[in-house]
Amino acid sequence: MEATETKMIPIYIMGKRYEVPEGLTIMKAMEYAGYQYIRGCGCRGGICGACGTIYRKPGDYKIYSALACQTAAEPDMYLTQLPFFPANHVPSNYAELEGVPEDIYKLYPELFRCVACNACSKICPMDVPVMDVIAYIKRGDIEKAAFEAFDCIQCGLCTSRCFAEAPQFHIMQLARRIYGGKLAPKAKHNAEAAQAVREGKFDAMLNQLMSMSTEEIKKEYIEREIEPETAGDDWKPKDAKWLIEEFLR
Amino acid sequence: MKLSYLPGCTLKTKAQDLDLSTVAAMEALDVELEELPRWNCCGTVFSFADDDLMHQIAPVRNLIRAQEQGGDKLVTVCSFCFNTLKRASLLVKENSDKLDTLNTFMDEEEDYTGNINVVHLLEVLRDEVGWDQIEGKVQNPLKDLKVAAYYGCTLHRPKEAAIEPPNKLEALNDLITALGATPVDFPDMTTCCGSYQAVANPEIVINRTREILSSAKESGAEMIAVSCPLCECNLRENQKELGELRMPIIYFTQLLALALGVDPHLHQCEKNPADARSFLESKGLLAACTAAE
Amino acid sequence: MGYPESLKNLIKKIEETRPDRVEKKKAGIEIPAMTLDERATLLEAHHPDCIPGTRRELKVGPSQGYAVAHEFADLLESKSRVDPDKVDLSQIDYETDVLVIGGGGAGTSAALLAQENGAKVILTTKLRHGDANTMMAEGGIQAADKLWKDSPGYHYIDTLGGGHFSNVPELAYRLVNDAPDVLHWLENLGMMFWKKPDGTMDTLPAAGFCRSRLHFAGDITGAEIMRVVRDEARNREEDITVLEFSPVIELILNENGQCAGALIYNMETEEYSIIRAKATIVATGGSGRLHIQNFVTTNHYGATADGIVMTYRAGLKLKFLHTLQYHPTGCVFPEQLEGLLITEKFRAAGSHVLNVDGEQFVYEREPRDVEAAAYIKEANERGKAVPRPTGGWGIWLDSPMLELIYGEGYIKREFPGKCKQFGRHGIDISKEPMIVYPTLHYQNGGVEFKETGETDIPGLFMAGEVGGGIHGENRLMGNSLLDILVFGRIAGANAAIYAKEKAQDGKMSLAHVNAYNKEVEEAGIETEVVSPMLLPNYIEKKVRDRQHSSHYVGNIR
Repeated sequence: MEATETKMIPIYIMGKRYEVPEGLTIMKAMEYAGYQYIRGCGCRGGICGACGTIYRKPGDYKIYSALACQTAAEPDMYLTQLPFFPANHVPSNYAELEGVPEDIYKLYPELFRCVACNACSKICPMDVPVMDVIAYIKRGDIEKAAFEAFDCIQCGLCTSRCFAEAPQFHIMQLARRIYGGKLAPKAKHNAEAAQAVREGKFDAMLNQLMSMSTEEIKKEYIEREIEPETAGDDWKPKDAKWLIEEFLR
Repeated sequence: MKLSYLPGCTLKTKAQDLDLSTVAAMEALDVELEELPRWNCCGTVFSFADDDLMHQIAPVRNLIRAQEQGGDKLVTVCSFCFNTLKRASLLVKENSDKLDTLNTFMDEEEDYTGNINVVHLLEVLRDEVGWDQIEGKVQNPLKDLKVAAYYGCTLHRPKEAAIEPPNKLEALNDLITALGATPVDFPDMTTCCGSYQAVANPEIVINRTREILSSAKESGAEMIAVSCPLCECNLRENQKELGELRMPIIYFTQLLALALGVDPHLHQCEKNPADARSFLESKGLLAACTAAE
Repeated sequence: MGYPESLKNLIKKIEETRPDRVEKKKAGIEIPAMTLDERATLLEAHHPDCIPGTRRELKVGPSQGYAVAHEFADLLESKSRVDPDKVDLSQIDYETDVLVIGGGGAGTSAALLAQENGAKVILTTKLRHGDANTMMAEGGIQAADKLWKDSPGYHYIDTLGGGHFSNVPELAYRLVNDAPDVLHWLENLGMMFWKKPDGTMDTLPAAGFCRSRLHFAGDITGAEIMRVVRDEARNREEDITVLEFSPVIELILNENGQCAGALIYNMETEEYSIIRAKATIVATGGSGRLHIQNFVTTNHYGATADGIVMTYRAGLKLKFLHTLQYHPTGCVFPEQLEGLLITEKFRAAGSHVLNVDGEQFVYEREPRDVEAAAYIKEANERGKAVPRPTGGWGIWLDSPMLELIYGEGYIKREFPGKCKQFGRHGIDISKEPMIVYPTLHYQNGGVEFKETGETDIPGLFMAGEVGGGIHGENRLMGNSLLDILVFGRIAGANAAIYAKEKAQDGKMSLAHVNAYNKEVEEAGIETEVVSPMLLPNYIEKKVRDRQHSSHYVGNIR
């Protein structure tokens, strides 16, 4: 690859000008400038919500948001990170929640202060339609809310902009958990397997395998039947050597 | 006929009967109510402060959603949604500066042009379908049924946003007639049920309920038809203490569905000591609908 | 934005071979998987673990003579960050039954189970609660819970095969046996598993497994798990206190030889504090940010082997730390996404891996180490890898072919996160392939511990990536999200019981740190390194060279 001279661009970190190479993410640009992160940096992979960043561009009234680890620095952007924003998490006894919208209403009544200003959705770096999610919760559609809010990384930017002062990311977390644990259909096969484990039904099988020599276990490994990639749940293995009969279909 | 429809939050939670009976009945009348793919809370209560545009964002955003669907009407059946949306639509239609401010604020949406007509379901029945048409489609005439038409506050107040002139309470009466029942006029047809005072001052609502029920009863009504989920809730919840004044409360859309021979979705009313289901059953009016259910 | 012309031209070659490859895939015709012998030969020649000169024997500590990567050795053959003599151990700042070190999936599940078993818990973590590799695990979690075609027995065989039969059998046993119960626990905590309408959990096949048993939640399974267990820990705030930005620097032992707590460091105020605990659980995670052999890493910012350092100083032995996992499919283009993990679910679902000519050169579902070695071979030996515009090599991962197999919209539905991340840079991965290359992903080994979560130090428990032995020399996909929860729960429950029944009062001491420092000196090691490392330093060299302050000057460093 031929070496090309790196073009430098100016960015303004909390108002102070730095020159950084073009093409770096905001995070790497700040490190290039000399910042050592303690806050404002987490997974560096766009999923942990530590590096929520707010910026503006010259001559443009709009507030933009980004994840510093995912977004390339642009010339003349002036930015600050918002590594933390206070948002009350209301503790609940999850086991005792009934799986109804009122669970959420009781814990976070402030969600009814929403005036549909949409500032939350506009700033969300994950494009979660936050305002619509709150609307789904208000109308009791927890399932829809849970899936629409699935990409939330809990960076808190929505909450920082909320006119109704609601902690949306905690509210959405509660909606997802209520859906996942109380509204979604239960996995019977998993409950059955978990029960079997608790009853020690695999102990004999596993003890036998554990006592095998390396050569013996290698043989099991090589000879084991492989489920075809596209087989699906109805697939029946020919070899039932390590299956338990009472569970066969 | 296809019309954009905003059910409202309450119709998706506490007042599902109202939503379900509405959609079922209108289908029987060949009107497809197409729920907006995206909508938010209407705003609940129209904000009176002249410069409080923040609280007009929610209703106007819903008008934009209706505009996106390409029609010129937005149907609601909840009286509160109707009142809030209707008045917001009039506010921005008459005040282009306010509309501009709102459009500029909602820069992520297309501009609202001011042309969505918010209509209540009773208006659709009256103007788009017609009482004669409805009468012609009645499968299960509600004979010998005396129904008090209770309009509540918000269908006729203020007059700019009323479904008909406030001194002419007709729409619900006419519908009841078309369904084969007998409408009962009574002095408290637009008396407020106490509304949100149910939370802070429940005694106000109990007194209002007593007043409304007794005046309906004295006028000879057997049941009360309502359009508002909050009226329904207040009148139902507060009659437990009222002994002989007890009376079934029913959404007008449930009566409509019943008469049209489709599922009237009578669920919530069973929480009433004088529940509409057993009452209608005793009148022999449910038989035709058992199949539909 | 998007791929440059040079790469767009190369993509055409992939598009040429794609129809034929898809037809074969649909007909069940695969290129052959390697035999065990072929795998061994390939690994020996091309896996980064096997490169001569990249490891050295430790001169100090309980595993003296054991060869680990220089980057580990540099940290282990160094003195503590703190001068033990300056610490007044009579000033206790926090007291608790169970101290959990680390706020990832292992630590948090340990905290929950310790609390359920009656303990008051302090969870202390270096960054925020949830800043951990758990959050970044995408593909899913393994469990044999479709018993009509699967069993923990098959899961065990697969796990040992993946680990080249070197796994500690007792640990592997617990891993596979407890798996269905862990999923049941997660479901009941409200995790949104992807399911069929009747509640059957969706599962996918994965490299090295004989059954389809990878359970998932979109393509952010780890984040979903982390969100749920963290939220639950927050619900129990009366019993579980969380201290953020407070890494442990050293463990504290007592005169009975038990672990008695830890010395924590507030990274913001730079103040040290003392936690006294009846039982302590180390769940500090992995070490990708050491950038072994200068590899790019998929790990989170704080993955710096702190737990290995503090437990080694306290006297625990290392196990399998000589093997590291290089995830075959780390993103290497565009530059902004470098190090981003491309979940194995793409390969599990059948995405072919292709060289510069658009040809398959390895079956896409070999175990990770084999797959990675094959890519490195394609680049270094055969010279057939894809040249990256920014230098270095890459391999094509043909995501668009999944749209042809499973129908249009599959990629957007199953990989929403990845679509978004690439979309930001003008690449539509449902239409264009991705460029990947092995990246430092996982610490296969670590510190020795038992299937009960116990270690050789009474009162000191362990869970998660810091521990070694579960996976032997190589971990399979989806077994790590499983391992952190299985052993997190075990460690949490057993630590609570220990705190109740076995913990003894005793004088607290950091003598082991003094002794270790002395051992380093006596070994003649001269180093400026202090450890644990806490965070990597990515400040541009030009700036670092001009950070002239030698020590504290006034109150500014």
